[in-house]
Amino acid sequence: MIRVQNLYKYYEEVCINDNISLEIKEGSIFGLLGPNGAGKTTLMRMLSTVTTPDRGEIYFQDQLLSNKHIPFIGYMPEERGLYRKMSVVDQLLYFAELKGLKRSQAKEQVKYWLKRLEIIDWAEKKMEELSKGMAQKIQFISTILHQPKFLILDEPFSGFDPVNADLVKDLIIELKKQGTTILFSTHRMDNVEELCDRLAIIHKGKKVLDGSIHEVRRSYFNHEYDILFNGNEIPSELPTWATLQKTSNSEFGYLKARIHLTEPSKTQDLISWAHETHQMIGFQENVPTMHQIFVDKVTQA
Amino acid sequence: MKNILVILKKEYLTRIKNKSFIIMTFVGPILMVAFYAGAIYFATQGAEDNRTQTIYFSSKRDYVRPSESTFTFDKFLFIKTDQPRDTILASIKNETADAWLNIQDEDLRTLDSTELISNGALSLSQNSALEGFIKDEIRQKILQNQGINKATLDSAEVLGGINKLEVADSGNTESSATGIKSGVGFAMALIIYMFIFIYGSMVMRSAMEEKTNRIVEVIVSSVKPFELMMGKILGVALVGLTQFLAWIILSVALISGASTVLKIGANSIPAGMNTSTGMAPPAGLSAPSGGLELISQLNSLPYWEIGIIFILFFLGGYLLYSSIFAAIGSAVNQDTDVQQFMMPVSLPLVFGFIIAQSVVFQAPHGKLAKIFSMIPLTSPVVMAVRAPFGVPISEIIASFLLLALTFILMVWLSAKIYRIGILSYGKKPTWKDFVKWIRQS
Repeated sequence: MIRVQNLYKYYEEVCINDNISLEIKEGSIFGLLGPNGAGKTTLMRMLSTVTTPDRGEIYFQDQLLSNKHIPFIGYMPEERGLYRKMSVVDQLLYFAELKGLKRSQAKEQVKYWLKRLEIIDWAEKKMEELSKGMAQKIQFISTILHQPKFLILDEPFSGFDPVNADLVKDLIIELKKQGTTILFSTHRMDNVEELCDRLAIIHKGKKVLDGSIHEVRRSYFNHEYDILFNGNEIPSELPTWATLQKTSNSEFGYLKARIHLTEPSKTQDLISWAHETHQMIGFQENVPTMHQIFVDKVTQA
Repeated sequence: MKNILVILKKEYLTRIKNKSFIIMTFVGPILMVAFYAGAIYFATQGAEDNRTQTIYFSSKRDYVRPSESTFTFDKFLFIKTDQPRDTILASIKNETADAWLNIQDEDLRTLDSTELISNGALSLSQNSALEGFIKDEIRQKILQNQGINKATLDSAEVLGGINKLEVADSGNTESSATGIKSGVGFAMALIIYMFIFIYGSMVMRSAMEEKTNRIVEVIVSSVKPFELMMGKILGVALVGLTQFLAWIILSVALISGASTVLKIGANSIPAGMNTSTGMAPPAGLSAPSGGLELISQLNSLPYWEIGIIFILFFLGGYLLYSSIFAAIGSAVNQDTDVQQFMMPVSLPLVFGFIIAQSVVFQAPHGKLAKIFSMIPLTSPVVMAVRAPFGVPISEIIASFLLLALTFILMVWLSAKIYRIGILSYGKKPTWKDFVKWIRQS
């Protein structure tokens, strides 16, 4: 659906995007991660045709991205705003028309979404009369009114209250089911693990990681296991192919031992060993969370 | 192109629906007239000092009103005195008198040794009134010495004024309309000048609002910044034209309403009186009636030419300046930063307006007028002032071409600044940034 190839963008001789390549599959959700100032917004602006790359190409369904793709793209920037003096309906119709929707089509869509998000009673009100939560809903509607094939959301959960953030999350899932391809940036790892099929981490303009959630997390698996024991100490001597990383007290007073296998193939042997102590009450792989991987990647680089 | 129309429509409709627009359309002309009437009233009336000034008067040869020890002229009270200099100066200092006119010349034909000493409170016009008065008195004295008395002098006064006529296109003569032309020219220059400022800053404000409200990023993901800028500029221009049209319709309605009332008034005058006054002016001379003359003068104006020049230069000037204003609006982040950029940009326009004022009263086709009606930044205002006096068609074409070229160049440059400006937040931009942005895009 979207292919980014060796993209460069400079701002006053500083490289904001440095040789970025990505591929986003049709109907998938792609998470763009990175600390503040990593160049996520710059990349999203290029994907939404707001700016153009200095070098490299972006392909939209195997065609070079150009202005003719504008009607198929929806973009919600991180910094949001609406016309305060305009009514909700006029505002939404205006945005829809700018995206090339016919007036009648636009009206239909506006009505549908206002009903759907239960703000139809406020349709004729001016924006300045609306609460912030309602304005956020309108903002989101304005992004998806024209039924974009590719939706770009810059920090969609920031600035939204928890109720609206959940609403946005549900809508993202719903749109995905309808076949929309979605790219969003976020700082919240829980959202990434919950929603994204694939993700990329950008740091200082460079892509430092790219892949599906499972692939990435798997690839960071360091053959560590957490074993819960009844009691205060590890009941018997560890096998030679295993080392103790650390112990901690888990809830309910159990002992949690993190054990690293020096021989990765010995997983079953470790289970047998723990079983034979007659003290084991839990056994789990320790696969790093996205949060750990993110912090690791960003502090390392 | 379609996007420009969508934006134009939105910019136009939201403004037209605005209450302040509706109020301004109806109240604006009344306010304008009241403002100018007030300014003229106070300029002619309010400034005058009604206090009588006491002037001590000494003269080596007593030829000014020899028989009177005090006399008045205008708002001056003259008191003849032969007190010593120091005493007089002291009384001026303690404000018993306002000034001392001391004529020390033996020879009548000169005032070189004459002094007027005041406490500094005499105005420029009072000074020249005093000097004029004294010169008149001396002139009379000289004439008297030559045997010409006051009665002879008065009988030599020439009365009435010259009838100023122009040869019209038809070959006949009609009364000259220099006054009307100046008035119309000045009014057009004023309208263009104000329009550029009012609506130009509206464009700027709108660009700035979209930027500070952060709407702009959403919009430029749908349309090109150039389309947004042009839609905005053209939409606001249309708002201005709508307001003008409303004003014209309103004033035509008012004038025709007023003249209907006047006609009824005229018909109620007794028939006898009407004919007697109708017979009064000798055949061949222009009618003395002010209203009639005004109408015939108005009819003699080259309306088509004036109208075309007005529209061309009005639009050209507005488009030129508003594209600059749009670029400024896109670059700044807050109101307080605007002034720094507005000042140098609007200076040529203010300068043009000052030139226009001197052009209209002095030489509508002089060198100054010709030069500044060619320079694109001043030509809209200066050309408007010249229009009623008839500008050679070659000059109009040359000037407009220059204006149009500059406008296109400026829109091109402004669009570049606009494109980057609207997405640049944070620090206050500098002129250097503008240049950098132009190069960058």
